[in-house]
Amino acid sequence: MGLPDASGDLSSEVEVDAFRRLFPLRFYERHLSESIRPDGRPLGRARDTTIALGAVASADGSALAKIGSTTMLAAIKMEVMTPSMESPDEGCLAIDFHMPPICSPIVRPGRPAEAAPVVSKQLSDTISSSGMVDLKELSLVSGKAAWMAYLDIYCLDADGALFDAALLSAVSALSHLQFPVVSLNEDGRVVVVSEEDGGKPEKEPVNREKRKLTLKSIPFSLTCILHKNYILADPTAEEESIMETLVTVVLDSSSQLISLYKPGGPVLANTSVIQVSFSPLKHTL
Amino acid sequence: MAGKPGTNPTTYSPSMATGKTRPRIFKDHDVDWVRPDGRGFHQCRPAFFRTGAVNSASGSAYAEFGNTKVIVSVFGPRESKKAMMYSDIGRLNCNVSYTTFATPVRGQGSDYKEFSSMLHKALEGAIILETFPKTTVDVFALVLESGGSDLHVVISCASLALADAGILMYDLVASVSLSCLGKNLVIDPVLEEESYQDGSLTITCMPSRYEVTQLSITGEWSTPKINEGMQLCLDACSKLAMIMRSCLKEATSTSQE
Repeated sequence: MGLPDASGDLSSEVEVDAFRRLFPLRFYERHLSESIRPDGRPLGRARDTTIALGAVASADGSALAKIGSTTMLAAIKMEVMTPSMESPDEGCLAIDFHMPPICSPIVRPGRPAEAAPVVSKQLSDTISSSGMVDLKELSLVSGKAAWMAYLDIYCLDADGALFDAALLSAVSALSHLQFPVVSLNEDGRVVVVSEEDGGKPEKEPVNREKRKLTLKSIPFSLTCILHKNYILADPTAEEESIMETLVTVVLDSSSQLISLYKPGGPVLANTSVIQVSFSPLKHTL
Repeated sequence: MAGKPGTNPTTYSPSMATGKTRPRIFKDHDVDWVRPDGRGFHQCRPAFFRTGAVNSASGSAYAEFGNTKVIVSVFGPRESKKAMMYSDIGRLNCNVSYTTFATPVRGQGSDYKEFSSMLHKALEGAIILETFPKTTVDVFALVLESGGSDLHVVISCASLALADAGILMYDLVASVSLSCLGKNLVIDPVLEEESYQDGSLTITCMPSRYEVTQLSITGEWSTPKINEGMQLCLDACSKLAMIMRSCLKEATSTSQE
């Protein structure tokens, strides 16, 4: 073996792991030119996805969603509020996304991750614009009491495609949500009817029938990386850190576009690229 | 949808009102009562451990004791914060936080400073800090669901996560707590029992070396009762450590295959 000349043959001299760390972009481009990714996936394939409902017993609805090793835990706690004057027969849904320090080496306690508020806003925008939840269903007594649904999503393991996993877990938790049976007490406060009372509460429960939300359309999302003329579906954290241009497409169950999000990046997306990023998502639906 | 800033109405949990008026389940006098989950007084909840819960961490573990569910991630050894002074030995940094839905009434998900420092003190003595000079090991815990005895589950889970991360320790650290209810001692109390307890005793120890790293006693105790309680806890700790050890062995044997 002679001296490694300038760049081309360097890879054969250096061990694969070292090459991956030193020249991450070149490492990826080599793979991409062979239409394969370092984890063995073809470019358009998303990672395996699992959902478990009812993971948190102390919540009224909860779900654990995993995309590859990205793990999200979403749970809903129902509280009671007085509805506003403008919309006396509507409840409220508050969505919050958290990245606790356990999820990634870049998050430290006291210094919240930059990505968290971005994903949080994206989630509440997507869920409100999809019209999935009818806020009127969260009403208890018109003008007096309504549900305030606190939907909190925790990222337990961050390995790319955070928004996709967060949306999946949020939607699953909403589908698992079951309202507690409540009645009005003498002071006009809403209290839970406990089943231990022997089945004869002093007051008739206000929501005997309405125990579940009817979800109208269900949004799904897919994040893709654009790099040169390659499109990589469902990126890992490593891929996201190396190739910066991301496109997130959200469709609902009838293939209607709900949102399209491209936060800058060096690659410009044109119509054809966007259309291509739709197709793997349609495939997963 | 999430409410415009400043317009968020005040909310309350509908279950709060009933919680306050609920009668005491445990009577003061010594009648026969059963624990809320039907266990014997000296019986711990079934423990479940799994290492490698978080891929992006150097080491991690998940623990489930009844309804108490926690995840602990370990990062490092890595560079200490810039503001830190030079140190010959390694540093340990601990943080415990709760999810907003962990407690029966929705919390703020804030940091638990007191638990963080307790966790730090419980682990400090077991870790061989000399093996990673100038650097820091971060131990972060998140309580997914609080079902009682949260801190001792966090401590046991954290020592397993440290072992998973390959941080050198003198021994695994196991922790068990005990509540005093009237005349009875109940081991591994659930949330309901903790709220009615007259006193509590927590032991954190390294069972193979028979050394205690942390002992905390609150409430009113008589000496014979302390002795009885400590013996109960130490026995439970050594059994717990056996479960933890078998979890580690399982993890390595499956990864070798």
